[in-house]
Amino acid sequence: MALSTTVSQRKMIRRKAPLGFLKRVFKRQKPHLRLKTSSDLLVHLNCLLFVHRLAEESRINACGSKCGIIKKEHVLAAAKVILKKSRG
Amino acid sequence: MGLCGCFTRVDLIRSIAIVGLNVAAGRRRLWIPKPLGKWAAEAMTDNFSPDSEPTTRTLLRRVLDTADPRTPRRARSTRSGAQRDLLETPSTRRQRSQTKMTARRRSHTAASVDRLAHVQASGHLEEQTPRTLLKNIILTAPESSIVKPEAVVKLVPSPQVVQPSRRESSRGSLELQLPELEPPTTLAPGLLAPGRRKQRLRLSEFQQGMDWGHLSQEPRENADASSLTSSLNLTFAMPLQPQSVKRPGLARRPPTRRVVDVGTFLQDLRDTSLAVAPPGESHRTPVATVPTDTVLEDTQPFSQPLAGHSPSVHHSLPCPSPSGAKEVEGPASRRTWSSGPGLQNNHSGPGKPAQLLARKVEEVEALAVGFPNISSISGEDGVEPLQNGVGEEAEESMEESMSVREVEKAAEEQGSARAEEPEGHTEVAEAAGSLGAIEAKEPEGSSEDEDPSASPKLAPSTPEFLRTRRLQSPEPAPPPSTAVLPSELPKRLSARIPPRPRIPGSRPRQDPYKAGLNHYAKLFSFYAKMPMEKKAVEMVEKCLDKYFQHLCDDLEVFAAHAGRKTVSPEDLELLLRRQGLVTDQVSLHVLVERHLPLEYRQLLIPCAFSGNSVFPTQ
Repeated sequence: MALSTTVSQRKMIRRKAPLGFLKRVFKRQKPHLRLKTSSDLLVHLNCLLFVHRLAEESRINACGSKCGIIKKEHVLAAAKVILKKSRG
Repeated sequence: MGLCGCFTRVDLIRSIAIVGLNVAAGRRRLWIPKPLGKWAAEAMTDNFSPDSEPTTRTLLRRVLDTADPRTPRRARSTRSGAQRDLLETPSTRRQRSQTKMTARRRSHTAASVDRLAHVQASGHLEEQTPRTLLKNIILTAPESSIVKPEAVVKLVPSPQVVQPSRRESSRGSLELQLPELEPPTTLAPGLLAPGRRKQRLRLSEFQQGMDWGHLSQEPRENADASSLTSSLNLTFAMPLQPQSVKRPGLARRPPTRRVVDVGTFLQDLRDTSLAVAPPGESHRTPVATVPTDTVLEDTQPFSQPLAGHSPSVHHSLPCPSPSGAKEVEGPASRRTWSSGPGLQNNHSGPGKPAQLLARKVEEVEALAVGFPNISSISGEDGVEPLQNGVGEEAEESMEESMSVREVEKAAEEQGSARAEEPEGHTEVAEAAGSLGAIEAKEPEGSSEDEDPSASPKLAPSTPEFLRTRRLQSPEPAPPPSTAVLPSELPKRLSARIPPRPRIPGSRPRQDPYKAGLNHYAKLFSFYAKMPMEKKAVEMVEKCLDKYFQHLCDDLEVFAAHAGRKTVSPEDLELLLRRQGLVTDQVSLHVLVERHLPLEYRQLLIPCAFSGNSVFPTQ
């Protein structure tokens, strides 16, 4: 009831979630499964949080090695940790 | 009491009241409390009056006749009992009044004479027994119904309960009255009587002045009710009377209505609409500014090019494209633009030029301005639809011509090879857009190789191209120029750029996938707040790839665990919980609120709206 009454002007979302991309990825991986409408957004949220954690970890690694730039090694090390965490 | 030994007089009266209620309600079935049932049946059958219906009056009389004058339980506060009886009997009498009166009256008058003698003989109410009170009630109560307009008004010595003003309204209300009256107000009947009498007198005096016949009884009865009754009962009658009776002259003034001036009304409408619109915008802008702080922060990595492009594109004049078919490419190019600036984003040939433009800000700006002017050049079509799609302000040819000169100037000013690069690219793109599929590949190839090798190769081509453009700009006719240009360009392209070994089938799989990953990679660089190497970005993309695989697997497992084939938000919540993102301290809604924009938040977090509705529904 609420969203249907919004004006179209409001629909310009700055940080749009790539829902189409997510849906396509999921479909490609698991064609026999379906995604519900709201779960699309939650997947995006999950991705955001993963990326956030990864970035934090990489930054810590880079700062730990006294580097001003995030290098591949830092990201790699961070990814190992974070992927383990996000295994669920 | 021989007959009713186990129950008190009060119970009897109450049962009779109930019986009377039933009778008044028209129910033939008489419900009587069990202990009294037998007795009541006896009484009724024994002394069945000539009336077809055993009225309360008759029942009461029977009670008095048959019952022992000695009250078995004196200890029980006779006052309360009397009160109850007194309270109830008027209700019963009311009911009685509602039912047919004639037969009762006949039978009553005969008896009343006898009773009157008894009462008079007894004199004063020395013994406030229920029996005596009842007798008084029966003897002295008015025969006529309260409903009747010409009622015989008699002063009732015994306390009466308030009568609801609306007798006909509802027996239900009457029935309600009974429970209301049940809570006994333990006031001495002796005290009550004089008080009521006083009130009665007062009101009756008042009433004498009025000609409200049908209300004549009400005040009296209200007076009787007075202190005993709850204010509820009073309110029934009182509101009507005071207004109507006490102040007949103080009628309500009809509301004065101002004559509506249509002109001023419309003026006000306009003013309010104007007033609403700007505040609406002003509201929008402050709201917009708040997220823009974060938005700007957030979209810094990839909004810059966009920000650079949007003004450039807006400035650019989308002149009417000669071929309508080209406009179809417009949305496609727009899509590629929005999906993210990336060389690999090759949705379509015309999309390429858009991407190329997107990458080079300043140069493209100058060039883009010039593009629509040169409508004759078919290559522009690749750019035009893009511009058409983005900024659809139709500007005049005057400005176009102006911008042509600007383009020329800008082209001349750009001495650096780099500056020429985008020109070359855009020109290439133009050509590609015009030519079609074949050219689309070539410009792709050109864009792909633009980084390392294409630039020097294309650089020499630019001055030639510019020369040709300048020559052709005054020419309005598109066909010959289009014929000329494409012929020139493909030669150059084929000479310089090696054809990209690209399989068309795999492209859709890779490009949008890369585009999406790019999106998150950019978010990574934003969250990191530190400069990053390009290799690190690629690494991030690989991690994301793995992450998506894990994600899909986990969701599949969760959905299967729940016996579903559709992944629901519950699965997602479980995943977040297992990842340690959602804890007992941090709930899912908190995360949603932190990281998602308002529109998505509204979709996820249930919120109550007007009309008792919740969205999204649970």
